[in-house]
Amino acid sequence: MHPPDDLDEYLRGDSALSCQYRRESAPAPPPALDRRVLEMSRAAGELAAGDSTAPHDSHTPRSVRAASAAPPCLAPLAFAASVLTSVALVLAIVFGPQSAKRVDDAPRVVRVVAHAELPQPYTNNSKAARAPSVWLADIAALRRAGRNREADEELRRFRTAYPTYPVYPAYSAAIRP
Amino acid sequence: MEPLDEDAKLMLRYRDGDATAFSALYSRHKGPLYRYLLRQVRNAGVAADLFQDVWSRLVATRGRYEARAKFATYLYRIAHNCTMDFFRRASRLHPAAADDSDAPAAEPEVPESQRPDVIAEFAEQQSALLAAVSALPQEQREAFLLHEETGLTIEEIARVTDVGVETAKSRLRYAVRKLKKSLLPAAFPDARPVRTLNAST
Repeated sequence: MHPPDDLDEYLRGDSALSCQYRRESAPAPPPALDRRVLEMSRAAGELAAGDSTAPHDSHTPRSVRAASAAPPCLAPLAFAASVLTSVALVLAIVFGPQSAKRVDDAPRVVRVVAHAELPQPYTNNSKAARAPSVWLADIAALRRAGRNREADEELRRFRTAYPTYPVYPAYSAAIRP
Repeated sequence: MEPLDEDAKLMLRYRDGDATAFSALYSRHKGPLYRYLLRQVRNAGVAADLFQDVWSRLVATRGRYEARAKFATYLYRIAHNCTMDFFRRASRLHPAAADDSDAPAAEPEVPESQRPDVIAEFAEQQSALLAAVSALPQEQREAFLLHEETGLTIEEIARVTDVGVETAKSRLRYAVRKLKKSLLPAAFPDARPVRTLNAST
Protein backbone atom coordinates (compact mmCIF):
# COMPACT_ATOMS: atom_id res chain seq x y z
CA MET A 1 0.00 0.00 0.00
CA HIS A 2 1.04 3.59 -0.54
CA PRO A 3 1.73 5.86 2.38
CA PRO A 4 -1.54 7.76 2.87
CA ASP A 5 -0.02 11.22 3.08
CA ASP A 6 2.10 11.19 -0.09
CA LEU A 7 -0.55 12.25 -2.54
CA ASP A 8 -2.64 14.22 -0.07
CA GLU A 9 0.28 16.38 0.86
CA TYR A 10 1.07 16.95 -2.80
CA LEU A 11 -2.51 17.81 -3.66
CA ARG A 12 -2.59 20.53 -1.02
CA GLY A 13 -0.34 22.44 -3.40
CA ASP A 14 2.49 23.48 -1.11
CA SER A 15 4.63 20.34 -1.36
CA ALA A 16 8.38 20.59 -1.95
CA LEU A 17 7.78 18.88 -5.28
CA SER A 18 5.37 21.54 -6.52
CA CYS A 19 7.59 24.35 -5.23
CA GLN A 20 10.59 22.88 -7.01
CA TYR A 21 8.65 22.35 -10.23
CA ARG A 22 7.49 25.98 -10.22
CA ARG A 23 11.08 27.14 -9.83
CA GLU A 24 12.07 25.33 -13.00
CA SER A 25 12.41 27.13 -16.31
CA ALA A 26 9.10 27.67 -18.03
CA PRO A 27 9.58 27.47 -21.78
CA ALA A 28 6.97 29.25 -23.87
CA PRO A 29 6.04 28.80 -27.52
CA PRO A 30 8.40 30.59 -29.90
CA PRO A 31 7.10 33.93 -31.26
CA ALA A 32 6.80 32.48 -34.75
CA LEU A 33 4.47 29.81 -33.41
CA ASP A 34 2.43 32.46 -31.61
CA ARG A 35 2.06 34.34 -34.85
CA ARG A 36 0.99 31.23 -36.75
CA VAL A 37 -1.72 30.35 -34.24
CA LEU A 38 -3.08 33.87 -33.98
CA GLU A 39 -3.02 34.24 -37.74
CA MET A 40 -4.86 30.95 -38.13
CA SER A 41 -7.52 32.10 -35.69
CA ARG A 42 -7.88 35.42 -37.47
CA ALA A 43 -8.19 33.72 -40.87
CA ALA A 44 -10.85 31.37 -39.49
CA GLY A 45 -12.78 34.33 -38.15
CA GLU A 46 -12.63 36.12 -41.48
CA LEU A 47 -13.78 33.02 -43.31
CA ALA A 48 -16.67 32.56 -40.93
CA ALA A 49 -17.66 36.21 -41.28
CA GLY A 50 -17.26 36.15 -45.06
CA ASP A 51 -19.13 33.12 -46.29
CA SER A 52 -19.76 30.97 -43.24
CA THR A 53 -17.50 28.23 -44.54
CA ALA A 54 -15.24 26.28 -42.24
CA PRO A 55 -11.64 27.27 -41.62
CA HIS A 56 -9.37 25.50 -44.08
CA ASP A 57 -6.53 24.48 -41.82
CA SER A 58 -5.01 21.17 -42.69
CA HIS A 59 -4.75 20.06 -39.07
CA THR A 60 -8.49 19.93 -38.56
CA PRO A 61 -10.27 16.76 -39.63
CA ARG A 62 -12.66 17.33 -42.51
CA SER A 63 -15.64 16.11 -40.52
CA VAL A 64 -14.89 18.60 -37.76
CA ARG A 65 -14.47 21.40 -40.26
CA ALA A 66 -17.77 20.55 -41.87
CA ALA A 67 -19.56 20.35 -38.55
CA SER A 68 -18.18 23.63 -37.33
CA ALA A 69 -19.00 25.40 -40.57
CA ALA A 70 -22.71 24.76 -40.39
CA PRO A 71 -24.67 27.14 -38.21
CA PRO A 72 -26.61 25.27 -35.49
CA CYS A 73 -29.97 26.15 -37.08
CA LEU A 74 -29.06 24.09 -40.15
CA ALA A 75 -28.55 20.93 -38.16
CA PRO A 76 -32.20 19.73 -38.41
CA LEU A 77 -32.17 20.41 -42.15
CA ALA A 78 -28.94 18.46 -42.53
CA PHE A 79 -30.41 15.60 -40.56
CA ALA A 80 -33.59 15.59 -42.66
CA ALA A 81 -31.53 15.64 -45.84
CA SER A 82 -29.44 12.69 -44.73
CA VAL A 83 -32.59 10.73 -43.77
CA LEU A 84 -34.13 11.44 -47.19
CA THR A 85 -30.93 10.37 -48.92
CA SER A 86 -30.85 7.14 -46.93
CA VAL A 87 -34.48 6.36 -47.72
CA ALA A 88 -33.91 7.08 -51.41
CA LEU A 89 -30.89 4.80 -51.37
CA VAL A 90 -32.85 1.97 -49.77
CA LEU A 91 -35.72 2.40 -52.27
CA ALA A 92 -33.24 2.40 -55.14
CA ILE A 93 -31.73 -0.84 -53.90
CA VAL A 94 -35.10 -2.56 -53.39
CA PHE A 95 -36.99 -1.33 -56.47
CA GLY A 96 -34.27 -0.05 -58.72
CA PRO A 97 -32.33 -1.62 -61.61
CA GLN A 98 -30.85 -4.19 -59.24
CA SER A 99 -34.24 -5.88 -58.85
CA ALA A 100 -34.75 -5.92 -62.62
CA LYS A 101 -31.38 -7.54 -62.91
CA ARG A 102 -32.46 -10.18 -60.42
CA VAL A 103 -35.41 -11.06 -62.72
CA ASP A 104 -32.84 -11.54 -65.46
CA ASP A 105 -30.91 -14.10 -63.43
CA ALA A 106 -32.65 -17.18 -64.74
CA PRO A 107 -31.56 -16.81 -68.41
CA ARG A 108 -28.04 -16.26 -67.17
CA VAL A 109 -28.03 -19.67 -65.56
CA VAL A 110 -29.03 -21.11 -68.92
CA ARG A 111 -26.17 -19.27 -70.58
CA VAL A 112 -23.71 -20.71 -68.10
CA VAL A 113 -24.96 -24.21 -68.82
CA ALA A 114 -24.59 -23.55 -72.53
CA HIS A 115 -20.95 -22.56 -71.98
CA ALA A 116 -20.37 -25.70 -70.00
CA GLU A 117 -21.57 -27.75 -72.95
CA LEU A 118 -19.05 -26.23 -75.34
CA PRO A 119 -16.33 -28.56 -76.52
CA GLN A 120 -13.53 -28.47 -74.03
CA PRO A 121 -9.80 -28.67 -74.79
CA TYR A 122 -7.90 -29.62 -77.89
CA THR A 123 -9.68 -27.32 -80.27
CA ASN A 124 -8.03 -24.83 -82.54
CA ASN A 125 -9.13 -21.95 -80.43
CA SER A 126 -8.40 -23.61 -77.11
CA LYS A 127 -5.25 -21.49 -76.78
CA ALA A 128 -7.36 -18.49 -76.04
CA ALA A 129 -9.08 -20.25 -73.16
CA ARG A 130 -6.04 -21.90 -71.62
CA ALA A 131 -3.12 -20.51 -69.79
CA PRO A 132 0.23 -22.01 -70.85
CA SER A 133 0.64 -23.97 -67.64
CA VAL A 134 -2.85 -25.44 -68.01
CA TRP A 135 -2.17 -26.27 -71.62
CA LEU A 136 1.06 -28.07 -70.68
CA ALA A 137 -0.79 -30.02 -67.99
CA ASP A 138 -3.35 -31.08 -70.60
CA ILE A 139 -0.57 -32.24 -72.92
CA ALA A 140 1.04 -34.21 -70.11
CA ALA A 141 -2.34 -35.79 -69.32
CA LEU A 142 -2.75 -36.81 -72.96
CA ARG A 143 0.72 -38.31 -72.92
CA ARG A 144 0.01 -40.25 -69.75
CA ALA A 145 -3.20 -41.57 -71.32
CA GLY A 146 -1.22 -42.85 -74.31
CA ARG A 147 -2.89 -40.40 -76.72
CA ASN A 148 0.46 -39.46 -78.19
CA ARG A 149 -0.76 -38.24 -81.57
CA GLU A 150 -3.09 -35.75 -79.93
CA ALA A 151 -0.35 -34.80 -77.51
CA ASP A 152 2.08 -34.13 -80.35
CA GLU A 153 -0.49 -32.02 -82.14
CA GLU A 154 -1.23 -30.02 -78.96
CA LEU A 155 2.46 -29.54 -78.30
CA ARG A 156 2.92 -28.19 -81.82
CA ARG A 157 0.03 -25.77 -81.31
CA PHE A 158 1.39 -24.81 -77.95
CA ARG A 159 4.80 -24.01 -79.40
CA THR A 160 3.20 -21.97 -82.15
CA ALA A 161 1.20 -20.01 -79.63
CA TYR A 162 3.90 -19.62 -77.00
CA PRO A 163 7.24 -19.98 -78.74
CA THR A 164 9.26 -18.53 -75.86
CA TYR A 165 7.40 -20.05 -72.94
CA PRO A 166 9.98 -21.78 -70.71
CA VAL A 167 9.27 -25.45 -70.10
CA TYR A 168 11.20 -26.74 -67.14
CA PRO A 169 13.13 -30.03 -67.65
CA ALA A 170 10.95 -32.04 -65.29
CA TYR A 171 7.83 -30.99 -67.15
CA SER A 172 9.52 -31.37 -70.45
CA ALA A 173 9.81 -35.13 -69.94
CA ALA A 174 6.11 -35.36 -69.24
CA ILE A 175 4.97 -33.60 -72.40
CA ARG A 176 7.47 -34.96 -74.89
CA PRO A 177 7.21 -38.39 -76.53
CA MET B 1 -24.77 23.98 -11.73
CA GLU B 2 -21.24 25.37 -11.37
CA PRO B 3 -20.71 29.02 -12.26
CA LEU B 4 -18.83 29.59 -15.50
CA ASP B 5 -15.10 30.14 -15.15
CA GLU B 6 -13.55 33.14 -16.85
CA ASP B 7 -12.03 31.04 -19.60
CA ALA B 8 -15.36 29.45 -20.43
CA LYS B 9 -16.90 32.92 -20.73
CA LEU B 10 -14.08 33.92 -23.07
CA MET B 11 -14.59 30.81 -25.14
CA LEU B 12 -18.32 31.49 -25.40
CA ARG B 13 -17.54 35.01 -26.57
CA TYR B 14 -15.11 33.62 -29.11
CA ARG B 15 -17.68 31.09 -30.27
CA ASP B 16 -20.09 33.96 -30.83
CA GLY B 17 -17.62 35.85 -32.99
CA ASP B 18 -15.50 37.94 -30.62
CA ALA B 19 -11.98 37.49 -31.99
CA THR B 20 -10.35 39.34 -29.11
CA ALA B 21 -11.59 36.66 -26.73
CA PHE B 22 -9.39 34.16 -28.53
CA SER B 23 -6.30 36.29 -28.00
CA ALA B 24 -7.06 36.47 -24.30
CA LEU B 25 -7.61 32.74 -24.06
CA TYR B 26 -4.47 32.07 -26.02
CA SER B 27 -2.26 34.26 -23.87
CA ARG B 28 -3.62 32.61 -20.72
CA HIS B 29 -3.09 29.05 -21.84
CA LYS B 30 -0.26 29.07 -24.33
CA GLY B 31 2.55 28.61 -21.79
CA PRO B 32 1.06 25.74 -19.76
CA LEU B 33 -0.19 24.01 -22.90
CA TYR B 34 3.18 24.30 -24.61
CA ARG B 35 4.99 22.90 -21.58
CA TYR B 36 2.45 20.09 -21.24
CA LEU B 37 3.07 19.09 -24.85
CA LEU B 38 6.83 19.64 -24.75
CA ARG B 39 7.28 17.56 -21.64
CA GLN B 40 4.91 14.91 -22.88
CA VAL B 41 6.53 14.30 -26.26
CA ARG B 42 10.02 15.48 -25.22
CA ASN B 43 10.78 17.06 -28.56
CA ALA B 44 10.43 20.76 -29.37
CA GLY B 45 9.56 20.26 -33.04
CA VAL B 46 6.83 17.74 -32.34
CA ALA B 47 5.53 19.87 -29.48
CA ALA B 48 5.26 22.88 -31.78
CA ASP B 49 3.31 20.86 -34.35
CA LEU B 50 0.94 19.49 -31.73
CA PHE B 51 0.55 22.94 -30.17
CA GLN B 52 -0.65 24.32 -33.48
CA ASP B 53 -2.83 21.26 -33.98
CA VAL B 54 -4.58 21.75 -30.63
CA TRP B 55 -5.39 25.39 -31.31
CA SER B 56 -6.51 24.57 -34.84
CA ARG B 57 -8.96 22.03 -33.51
CA LEU B 58 -10.19 24.44 -30.89
CA VAL B 59 -10.81 27.05 -33.58
CA ALA B 60 -12.46 24.54 -35.89
CA THR B 61 -14.85 23.21 -33.26
CA ARG B 62 -15.65 26.50 -31.57
CA GLY B 63 -19.19 26.51 -32.98
CA ARG B 64 -20.02 23.40 -30.97
CA TYR B 65 -18.53 24.57 -27.70
CA GLU B 66 -20.79 24.38 -24.67
CA ALA B 67 -19.59 25.46 -21.26
CA ARG B 68 -20.40 22.25 -19.45
CA ALA B 69 -17.16 22.08 -17.50
CA LYS B 70 -14.03 24.05 -16.82
CA PHE B 71 -12.56 25.36 -20.08
CA ALA B 72 -9.18 23.80 -19.26
CA THR B 73 -10.68 20.31 -19.34
CA TYR B 74 -12.01 21.06 -22.83
CA LEU B 75 -8.68 22.40 -24.07
CA TYR B 76 -6.60 19.64 -22.52
CA ARG B 77 -8.96 16.99 -23.74
CA ILE B 78 -8.11 18.15 -27.25
CA ALA B 79 -4.42 18.24 -26.30
CA HIS B 80 -4.63 14.74 -24.84
CA ASN B 81 -6.25 13.43 -28.02
CA CYS B 82 -3.62 15.09 -30.22
CA THR B 83 -0.85 13.63 -28.08
CA MET B 84 -2.38 10.17 -28.12
CA ASP B 85 -2.77 10.40 -31.90
CA PHE B 86 0.91 11.22 -32.12
CA PHE B 87 1.96 8.30 -29.93
CA ARG B 88 -0.38 5.98 -31.80
CA ARG B 89 0.98 7.07 -35.18
CA ALA B 90 4.51 6.65 -33.92
CA SER B 91 3.79 3.19 -32.59
CA ARG B 92 2.11 2.16 -35.86
CA LEU B 93 5.03 3.33 -37.95
CA HIS B 94 7.65 2.09 -35.52
CA PRO B 95 6.29 -0.45 -33.05
CA ALA B 96 8.93 0.27 -30.40
CA ALA B 97 8.64 4.03 -30.66
CA ALA B 98 5.69 4.70 -28.44
CA ASP B 99 6.49 1.99 -25.96
CA ASP B 100 6.88 4.34 -23.08
CA SER B 101 6.72 1.74 -20.38
CA ASP B 102 9.57 0.82 -18.11
CA ALA B 103 10.35 -2.22 -20.20
CA PRO B 104 13.38 -1.85 -22.45
CA ALA B 105 12.60 -1.45 -26.14
CA ALA B 106 13.57 -4.42 -28.26
CA GLU B 107 13.26 -2.71 -31.64
CA PRO B 108 16.09 -0.32 -32.39
CA GLU B 109 14.35 1.62 -35.17
CA VAL B 110 12.23 4.44 -33.75
CA PRO B 111 11.22 7.83 -35.11
CA GLU B 112 13.78 10.55 -34.76
CA SER B 113 11.77 12.45 -32.19
CA GLN B 114 11.30 9.48 -29.88
CA ARG B 115 14.69 7.83 -30.12
CA PRO B 116 16.06 7.06 -26.66
CA ASP B 117 19.22 9.07 -27.30
CA VAL B 118 17.21 12.10 -28.43
CA ILE B 119 15.03 11.83 -25.34
CA ALA B 120 18.12 11.36 -23.18
CA GLU B 121 19.61 14.48 -24.73
CA PHE B 122 16.39 16.33 -24.00
CA ALA B 123 16.49 15.12 -20.41
CA GLU B 124 20.17 16.04 -20.10
CA GLN B 125 19.34 19.65 -20.84
CA GLN B 126 16.87 19.70 -17.94
CA SER B 127 17.28 19.87 -14.22
CA ALA B 128 17.21 16.67 -12.21
CA LEU B 129 13.52 17.14 -11.52
CA LEU B 130 12.58 17.74 -15.13
CA ALA B 131 14.74 14.83 -16.17
CA ALA B 132 12.81 12.70 -13.69
CA VAL B 133 9.53 13.99 -15.12
CA SER B 134 10.79 13.10 -18.56
CA ALA B 135 11.64 9.59 -17.40
CA LEU B 136 8.16 8.88 -16.01
CA PRO B 137 5.89 6.50 -17.92
CA GLN B 138 3.68 8.51 -20.24
CA GLU B 139 0.43 8.19 -18.27
CA GLN B 140 2.05 9.19 -15.00
CA ARG B 141 3.89 12.04 -16.69
CA GLU B 142 0.64 13.30 -18.16
CA ALA B 143 -1.21 13.17 -14.85
CA PHE B 144 1.56 15.10 -13.15
CA LEU B 145 1.81 17.71 -15.90
CA LEU B 146 -1.93 18.21 -16.02
CA HIS B 147 -2.01 18.89 -12.32
CA GLU B 148 1.07 21.10 -12.21
CA GLU B 149 0.54 23.10 -15.37
CA THR B 150 -3.21 23.57 -15.20
CA GLY B 151 -4.23 22.87 -11.63
CA LEU B 152 -6.73 20.24 -12.72
CA THR B 153 -8.13 18.07 -9.95
CA ILE B 154 -7.94 14.30 -10.04
CA GLU B 155 -11.54 14.12 -11.26
CA GLU B 156 -10.74 16.56 -14.06
CA ILE B 157 -7.57 14.68 -14.98
CA ALA B 158 -9.65 11.51 -15.17
CA ARG B 159 -12.11 13.27 -17.49
CA VAL B 160 -9.36 14.65 -19.72
CA THR B 161 -7.55 11.34 -20.03
CA ASP B 162 -10.74 9.31 -20.24
CA VAL B 163 -9.99 6.98 -17.34
CA GLY B 164 -11.60 6.32 -13.99
CA VAL B 165 -10.91 8.55 -11.03
CA GLU B 166 -9.06 5.79 -9.20
CA THR B 167 -6.82 5.20 -12.20
CA ALA B 168 -5.99 8.87 -12.48
CA LYS B 169 -5.33 9.01 -8.75
CA SER B 170 -3.06 5.99 -8.91
CA ARG B 171 -1.09 7.45 -11.83
CA LEU B 172 -0.57 10.70 -10.01
CA ARG B 173 0.40 8.93 -6.83
CA TYR B 174 3.07 6.87 -8.60
CA ALA B 175 4.37 9.98 -10.36
CA VAL B 176 4.63 11.90 -7.10
CA ARG B 177 6.41 9.06 -5.36
CA LYS B 178 8.99 8.75 -8.12
CA LEU B 179 9.52 12.49 -8.42
CA LYS B 180 9.92 12.94 -4.71
CA LYS B 181 12.81 10.54 -4.84
CA SER B 182 14.46 12.75 -7.44
CA LEU B 183 14.30 15.64 -4.98
CA LEU B 184 16.12 13.73 -2.26
CA PRO B 185 19.66 14.28 -3.61
CA ALA B 186 19.09 18.04 -3.46
CA ALA B 187 18.22 17.80 0.19
CA PHE B 188 21.18 15.52 0.84
CA PRO B 189 23.89 16.56 -1.60
CA ASP B 190 26.18 13.70 -0.62
CA ALA B 191 23.58 11.29 -1.83
CA ARG B 192 23.31 12.87 -5.29
CA PRO B 193 23.76 10.09 -7.83
CA VAL B 194 26.40 10.51 -10.50
CA ARG B 195 24.74 11.07 -13.85
CA THR B 196 26.77 8.86 -16.08
CA LEU B 197 26.10 10.65 -19.37
CA ASN B 198 27.73 13.91 -18.34
CA ALA B 199 29.99 12.65 -15.60
CA SER B 200 33.05 13.84 -17.47
CA THR B 201 31.82 17.42 -17.78
